Amino acid sequence: MGTARYIVRRLIFSAFLIIGVSIILFAMINAIGNPIEILLAERPGITDEIIESITQYYGLGGSVTDRYFTWLGAIIRFDFGTSIIYNLPVSEMLLTYGLETLKIQIPAILIALLVSVLISVLAATRQYSRIDFGVIAGAMVGHSLPGFLLGILLILLFSYWLGVLPSYGAYSTRNLLMDSMVIDGLWHMVLPVAMLAFFNTATLTLLLRASLVDVLRQDFITAARASGLPERRVVFGHALRNAFIPVLTYLGILFGLMLGTAPVTETVFTWPGLGALYIMAIQQLDYPLIMGATMIITFMLVTATLLTDIAYVIIDPRIRLA
Amino acid sequence: MDSEATPTATLQAENLGSRQRPPGVWRQSWYRFRRNRAGMLGLTLVSLVVLIAIFCPLLAPFDPSDQSAMLRGAARRAPDSIHLLGTDRNGYDVLSRMLYGARTALAVGLGAMAIASLIGVTIGGIAGYAGGMTDELLMRFAEFFMVIPVFIVILAVVRLFGIVVVGTWLENIPNLNLITIIVLLGCFEWPPIARMARAEFLRLKHAEFVEAAVCIGSRKRDILLRHILPNALPSLIVLVALGIGGAILAETMVSFLGFGDPKAVSWGQSLFFNYEALKVAPWAVLTPGTAIFLTVLGFNLLADGLTDAFNPRLRQ
Repeated sequence: MGTARYIVRRLIFSAFLIIGVSIILFAMINAIGNPIEILLAERPGITDEIIESITQYYGLGGSVTDRYFTWLGAIIRFDFGTSIIYNLPVSEMLLTYGLETLKIQIPAILIALLVSVLISVLAATRQYSRIDFGVIAGAMVGHSLPGFLLGILLILLFSYWLGVLPSYGAYSTRNLLMDSMVIDGLWHMVLPVAMLAFFNTATLTLLLRASLVDVLRQDFITAARASGLPERRVVFGHALRNAFIPVLTYLGILFGLMLGTAPVTETVFTWPGLGALYIMAIQQLDYPLIMGATMIITFMLVTATLLTDIAYVIIDPRIRLA
Repeated sequence: MDSEATPTATLQAENLGSRQRPPGVWRQSWYRFRRNRAGMLGLTLVSLVVLIAIFCPLLAPFDPSDQSAMLRGAARRAPDSIHLLGTDRNGYDVLSRMLYGARTALAVGLGAMAIASLIGVTIGGIAGYAGGMTDELLMRFAEFFMVIPVFIVILAVVRLFGIVVVGTWLENIPNLNLITIIVLLGCFEWPPIARMARAEFLRLKHAEFVEAAVCIGSRKRDILLRHILPNALPSLIVLVALGIGGAILAETMVSFLGFGDPKAVSWGQSLFFNYEALKVAPWAVLTPGTAIFLTVLGFNLLADGLTDAFNPRLRQ
């Protein structure tokens, strides 16, 4: 099977995934009854007239399947409806909050990649040395340290005890640092990015070191060394490129993990991102917002997985496409 | 490492003269595991959690639901000689809550992984043994669960299920919320186990001893459950150990976000109640946090050690 056919098959599967999640969620929310009834379950004392007008306003009349297809048709046009609690277009909210989430996650994963490459090379080229064992132990501990606990420790240390970094929010509420939106934003990003970067570095280092140790033992490395290439080029040019293949597939998983646990990260740092928005939505049973946020998170996750899958087959032609 | 081969070699040498059976795969694995310092540390941590869970009524200085410190105006008190790890904002003794939390953590980890193993081994086993279209369909189904944002979906289901049960007989089940979380974790965390079970069943299907069993006319059930499954266990146990740690962490995160069981004495619940008072009473957050960290680390190290013990060749 050719690469093009493989990619098409993955694309179709991804579309199925997204639709599958939307059906599960839609069915679940509607299993309780009409979204209006969900709202009423925790807000007694609303008259029938008001219920009628709400139903009209949010387009919640008709059968479950009718509503599902109306909703599905609308989200293709990036129209997620109107938030019941905030009375704002859900698509607008998702965009604003989504950017805040990416603002901490993308730098974190880039920093983690850079740092883990350096650490892994350091460890793998000195296999079974003190440095190597130190790196393995550190990475293992970092990998097991729950992200939110690290976040809490960082807040305690840098915000409460040293008082140098802010513990919550994306911007200062009163005075911006140095009166600059950019500097103030960066200042607030330090702790959440540090937490995410640390977690990702630990996991990536564990993987990359093992992979690098494996590659460095192979014949083509010996051949490269024998041909008189400087060690630096052997490691960074030849070994690292090959060691990166298993790590690449993991990047998608890691990104998914970060996105999936964004509610926790963003609760620890009171960060106004997609995860925090999602928590608010399910606490307040804001049905269009729950659907919208889940769909966006699923979409981002599926896209990340899809991209890594495709990158994988392009980079490594040995892979059997099955 | 070069030390890997030694224990087996010594054992074989010891057994040469006698008519004793050579040590079985489990015993051999244990000899290898014992040599693995990280694995032993993991086992120690896990054993500690188990012991605490069993003996917490004897160990805990206070009842986990004792809020009397609140009445004495001693809530959020720093660690002292009466409350060794201080009290939290609800007047609970932090140490006692931490010790009792081990029970909930283990119940979550074991319960979720029992469900996940049952689903995973069934689906993976059928896929691997049957092959063909069945295999393809079941594995696509498993992949679906691997790609969707499980944690996000669990949060929504826990919240919505909490509303569904209001007014039904289910409402009277004690710790219903916790049970929901356990079942959900089990229902969403099975795909890695299914994948491994499939690979193992596929590999063992053509093993000589399985073909021998087929030849002597063993029943299909016996072939699957008595010949293939026991040989697939080592690889599966590693995943289960990892999964227990993962499930405990997941429950903690669900509780930390406020969707946990308010009646359960769980570490995540303690984090949720005390996070707002982090600045005033950091011990009430750091104690359950450390407990979670050590438990998850313990299960991760244990799984790591088990991988090495069951597959000595991988190490070289």
